Amino acid sequence: MTARVIVVTSGKGGVGKTTATANLAAALANMGKRVVAVDGDVGLRNLDVIMGLENRIVYTLIDALEGTCRLNQTFIRDKRIENLFMIPTAQSRTKDAVTAEQMIEVCGELRKEFDYVLIDSPAGIEAGFRNSAAGADEALVVTTPEVSAVRDADRIIGLLESMDKSPIRLIVNRIRPHMVKKGDMLGVSDVLDILAIDLIGMVPDDEAVVTSSNKGEPLVLSQSTPAGIAFRNIASRIEGKDVPFMNLDATDSGGLFGIIRRAILGH
Amino acid sequence: MIKLKGMYDSMLRCIISEDMDASDFSKEFDEVRGKGRRFLPGAKVVLDFGARPLSEGLIRDIMTDLIWPAGMYVAAWITYDAATQDLLKRIGLPTSEPAPSVRANERAAGGALFLQRSLRSGQRVEHSGDVIVAGHVNDGAEILAGGHVTVLGRLSGLVHAGYNGDETASVVVRSLEARQVRIGTKIGSLDRDERWWGKMVIVRVNEGSVFIDYWPMIKSDSRDESAG
Ligand SMILES: Nc1ncnc2c1ncn2[C@@H]1O[C@H](COP(=O)(O)OP(=O)(O)O)[C@@H](O)[C@H]1O
Ligand SMILES: [Mg+2]
Repeated sequence: MTARVIVVTSGKGGVGKTTATANLAAALANMGKRVVAVDGDVGLRNLDVIMGLENRIVYTLIDALEGTCRLNQTFIRDKRIENLFMIPTAQSRTKDAVTAEQMIEVCGELRKEFDYVLIDSPAGIEAGFRNSAAGADEALVVTTPEVSAVRDADRIIGLLESMDKSPIRLIVNRIRPHMVKKGDMLGVSDVLDILAIDLIGMVPDDEAVVTSSNKGEPLVLSQSTPAGIAFRNIASRIEGKDVPFMNLDATDSGGLFGIIRRAILGH
Repeated sequence: MIKLKGMYDSMLRCIISEDMDASDFSKEFDEVRGKGRRFLPGAKVVLDFGARPLSEGLIRDIMTDLIWPAGMYVAAWITYDAATQDLLKRIGLPTSEPAPSVRANERAAGGALFLQRSLRSGQRVEHSGDVIVAGHVNDGAEILAGGHVTVLGRLSGLVHAGYNGDETASVVVRSLEARQVRIGTKIGSLDRDERWWGKMVIVRVNEGSVFIDYWPMIKSDSRDESAG
């Protein structure tokens, strides 16, 4: 196997990186892929909590790097979904506990054993972002449709471009259908116009996200929540399937679909 | 990859490709030093890193493994990453494109910097001559130019034309979406609901104030909403 290594990142914190990593990992595994989600956010770890695996942590990535254990001893197998694994990180360390070289080496080892390696990274303007992204080929940038989040996403896209990640694709998270378009909120087409990268998904703001992360249950397993469907669609698009976009952007008078087609097809 | 190119005034430009892996630096340095054995000692060189951010460690490595052993003289360190520019300045290294020694009335032709890219947030271009951007200048990006600035796309970031105090400098943009434009020592500010917002405009200083004007009209232009 040679895995695709994808870093999930953002400019601003709290926009949904960990949520996206957990749900995309679960959705891809549910599609029959062998997936490992790596918590690359040292010191602010919460991927384990959102995936509901925190009570099963024995060794962390840092233990493996320090030689306390082998890398495969850090794997936590998800009991609900076959082929889904996670590698936790340490809460008690700082971002510089992992170097770029170490991340590249770890990703190299994981590549041999999985179809997908998804890395949950710290927000881009924090220290440690570059290290956690070092071993990845591709990037998913998560943003909310807020002016400040989009500006920070723009900055991270610039950094990812200079790190030669490709493709770099965008997830616009926490969209409120029929939201009042005013002040600090942008429409998805405005976000795309500014960031000028390919859109891979739009995720609605959904209560179910909060309840499912509190329960540690991946949303994508339930059939009918809007955010769950959105994350499943993103997983299919990562797999190369042509899944039409949901129209969440009712405030865009110009017709979102046309604009998004243009962004994806390049015309 | 690292490439060496000739510039004006017998200056060399050393282009360090943005997508080159950081782990390849030392190997590439060896190669450049080998290739430039004859002409690099004493040569004036502009190091061009594109948008690559540089760490303090990398800057040190470049000095000890490339600049010093090659015996070259670095006229400028060019990167569009604003944080790196600040770091370079703190260390005391030159960060702006050296001006070619041409007569003033040739400035536009000789000293213009043509950027075939968009500038994203956190990227900054500093240039002693004119700057033309064939792309967008996003919110959080900056252009500091000694002369005029032309933006063929959308201007949402900060432009300062004539930053040495030259108030004959102008700013020409395809879509003005910035709250502020600076020329010389003057600052013009703009609100989103003003009629210039999102329009093709020229910004200039006239009798000490910043003025905005539409682009010259041609017959095929339809500018109904903005006319008047
Ligand atoms: N689509 C969504 N709808 C509602 N809440 C969301 C959504 N995405 C994320 N959240 C909530 O936002 C908060 C931050 O999400 P998280 O994934 O931890 O962000 P990050 O990892 O980028 O810091 C969490 O409380 C999460 O439940
Ligand atoms: Mg997180």
